[in-house]
Amino acid sequence: MSYKILVNGPITRKIMSSILASLAKNTDAGGHSVFIGQVRADIRGAKRVRAIEYSAYEKMAETEAGKIKESILAEFNDVKSVEILHSVGIVMVGETSLFVLVSAGHRHHAIDACSRVVEMIKATLPVWKKEIFEDNSAMWKENSLD
Amino acid sequence: MEIQVFFFGVLAEATKTAFKHYRGVTSFEELKMRIGDDFPEISHYNYRIAVNNELVYEDPVLKEGDEVAYMPPFAGG
Repeated sequence: MSYKILVNGPITRKIMSSILASLAKNTDAGGHSVFIGQVRADIRGAKRVRAIEYSAYEKMAETEAGKIKESILAEFNDVKSVEILHSVGIVMVGETSLFVLVSAGHRHHAIDACSRVVEMIKATLPVWKKEIFEDNSAMWKENSLD
Repeated sequence: MEIQVFFFGVLAEATKTAFKHYRGVTSFEELKMRIGDDFPEISHYNYRIAVNNELVYEDPVLKEGDEVAYMPPFAGG
């Protein structure tokens, strides 16, 4: 892989802008589908989430992200490229922790493949998250795959 | 043989250990028993095990220097 998927801290507007700015180079693509995941201010009882702390098995996360990309490129022959960025460390409410961009020849493939990538990330990327509440208490959280 | 064992997420917090070296390991089965003795608290959690970045579904044959990871359910995104 030419770059690492894990980013320390939030995925900033600047990082996302620079990726979007490079899209015009993909002249064989007719559409790009983007998913931006952000930290939600969930309420748990009387507590409100103020941030999420992500941790990862970094080597395995890079390997698994490579497998996701290979699998998508094999399944959708119209997909030209798949970009994945995921945060590690603290990400505050409203900040971005996941960025996925899929470029394809045609829109349906871009949209379907992007959705598939997000589901594969939830299921196979060795990343863990701890919700941090406004009172600084914390709780580990698991993904539901519904 | 010598094996490196990693704990992640809630398991690292529960064991207060992110990483531990095990020496004189004879098999995966024996390693799991030693880990269970050292960190009995992990029996309270769901987890999966990876060896050298690959999830294992059956007990693998370990070799010198392998990395074994104890991983709680994933929570990316």
